[in-house]
Amino acid sequence: MTDGRFGKAILLLALEAAFFALFVSFMLAQETWKIVSFLAFFVFLGFFFKKWARAGEALARLFREMKGLAAVGFILLLLLLPFFFQKSPYLIHICVMAGLFVILALGLNFQLGSTNVVNFATAASYGIGAYTSALLAVHYHISFWLGIFIGGGVASFFGLVLGFPCMKTKDYYLSLVTIAFGLIIYILLTNFSWTGGPNGIPNIPAPTLGGHSFREPLQIFGLTLPFQTNFFYLIFFFAGIALIVAHRLHHSRVGLTWNAIREDEIAARCQGIDVTWYKILAFCIDAFFGGVAGTVYAHYIGFISPENFAFIVSVVVVTMVILGGMDNVFGVIVGAVLLTVLPEKFRAFEDLRLLMYGSIVVLMLIFRPQGLFPQKLRIYIKK
Amino acid sequence: MTEIFQQSINALLIGCNYTLIAIGFNLFFGALNVVHFSHGDVCILGAFVVLILYGLAKFFGLLNAIPLYIFIPLLILATMLVTGFLGVFFERLVIRPFRQAPLLMVLVATVALGIVIREAVRLTFPHGSNPQIFPRILPTFSFSIGGVMLRADNLIILGTTFLLITAMFLFIKNTKVGTAIRAVSQDGEAALMMGIRMDRTVAVTFMIGSALGAMAGVLIGAYNNIIRYDMGLMGGVKGFSAAVVGGLGNVYGAIIGGLVLGFVETFAAAFIPGGTPYTDVFAFLVVIFFLVFRPSGILGEKVYEKV
Repeated sequence: MTDGRFGKAILLLALEAAFFALFVSFMLAQETWKIVSFLAFFVFLGFFFKKWARAGEALARLFREMKGLAAVGFILLLLLLPFFFQKSPYLIHICVMAGLFVILALGLNFQLGSTNVVNFATAASYGIGAYTSALLAVHYHISFWLGIFIGGGVASFFGLVLGFPCMKTKDYYLSLVTIAFGLIIYILLTNFSWTGGPNGIPNIPAPTLGGHSFREPLQIFGLTLPFQTNFFYLIFFFAGIALIVAHRLHHSRVGLTWNAIREDEIAARCQGIDVTWYKILAFCIDAFFGGVAGTVYAHYIGFISPENFAFIVSVVVVTMVILGGMDNVFGVIVGAVLLTVLPEKFRAFEDLRLLMYGSIVVLMLIFRPQGLFPQKLRIYIKK
Repeated sequence: MTEIFQQSINALLIGCNYTLIAIGFNLFFGALNVVHFSHGDVCILGAFVVLILYGLAKFFGLLNAIPLYIFIPLLILATMLVTGFLGVFFERLVIRPFRQAPLLMVLVATVALGIVIREAVRLTFPHGSNPQIFPRILPTFSFSIGGVMLRADNLIILGTTFLLITAMFLFIKNTKVGTAIRAVSQDGEAALMMGIRMDRTVAVTFMIGSALGAMAGVLIGAYNNIIRYDMGLMGGVKGFSAAVVGGLGNVYGAIIGGLVLGFVETFAAAFIPGGTPYTDVFAFLVVIFFLVFRPSGILGEKVYEKV
């Protein structure tokens, strides 16, 4: 049996490496025909696994059997990513943005996916986190490492404030409250003088760690990597934490409770679930994720303005969750990465970006409402 | 005192716009129990239809061939018709597939449809990202009564809105199709059993709602003299807010809700020092207040959920 396991491990790592190589070469591809042929290949893969579902199941079983090895291999490969993009900081920038949106989408997933609360205020918590830590850093020289907790905390507090009116409302009314909240925050950010108004806040200092500023190139093993690499590792760390939190929550009683509320609120209440408390919890956790992502964004770009936190950002994050597969942590990550990377690869069609987002949502909802990676039923195995 | 009168006229004008949009929301909610979040964009689309038709008329020399007082009503009628059909088309496309699906689906789908409409307008219009100048289709002379300035175009806007709303009420009250609309809104299944053609009634409902919305778009354009592709988002949220404040599903509520929002906004801008940039904030706070303390709106009845 040891031989079988060894062979499987080799196969698994080879598969991961192959997929990674595919991703890197896709990112490095410049010409449109190359990008399109890569996409065609991905679509072909999708159809292949749809047609031969057994191949997909075998693959999934392989990954499930060697969860630890798969995770370690995946992490190592991702850590190597910046070395491949050494010459093109722009690609690392895309990866950092993808990481940010992964955090935002994972946060929203607690509400939209797990609890069926359609929250259109993601941009608001994103913006509140960004502005809080940026203002603290610019005016009071508070370090990024403290600011990230304050930013997340303040965003979380606003999530709580938003949560209260939302408890009295549901469905359309609730969405209206969140849309109104997002617009209120946007209007306030644009009009207050102490937030810099429409001009925003410039010159936000970069984080430092042990005397090394994150805006200086990173030097490892005698190689000089562009400064974006610092933020790549930073966001990798935070996205990893977000992923673990999301995964643990999903498999905990809290996640189960959220799903119960999603399926039938009244039935959940009859089971003795404190629906209000669990919904507010979802609001606060989502807002905390948003606040953390906002803080990292503010210190990464060094400049924020209300335009970065407009209504459309919320819709984009909602799109990511729906495209990936609601309530499926893995699917949501894929959705976030896809929707960040694809528009950047098609920069020639930059103008069509929002049109594409809108069309994707409508088409997905009509033809595949469960998303690319639908959440499977929970299976509880007796040990 | 004159100040209050002056501001009241502004409030009425803004309220009229919101009412026209809110009626659409109420009609759709009554017919299908859905909220059509892209309705605001359909309304602004109406204003862009005017731009297109006006441009076409100019191109073919119709503008000088027909006297203005005939041309303008024709133009507006054509716009309402075109936008009405567009509304029916959008219902087929994006709302009908979700008739049996959970609420969340149609909610997100219509928000996404709003983006698609906005972006389509922005991309197809030359310099679509910039504000478009709206043709002066209404007379602009003004006169004053007792110190209150009255502009002819504003009076026309008020009069037209009043006429349209009255016509719609008469239509819904007295015609066979109107009765069908009311029946479907009361109980869709029972209406089906009485032999009412559901799909046709829904189509008529969307036709009326979108046509009235187009009128709102035209009035917004005529009032501001410019029109921008992204006005639909705010217009839609405000219209929906008006519908909710009045009582969602209640067509009369739309009038009250629209006026409440109009007055809140105008008076906040006029009488709260430094309040002008924050008018929308006040409006939304009022809406949230209503949602929390009277979710069924001013005219709505309290709904008890059956298990």
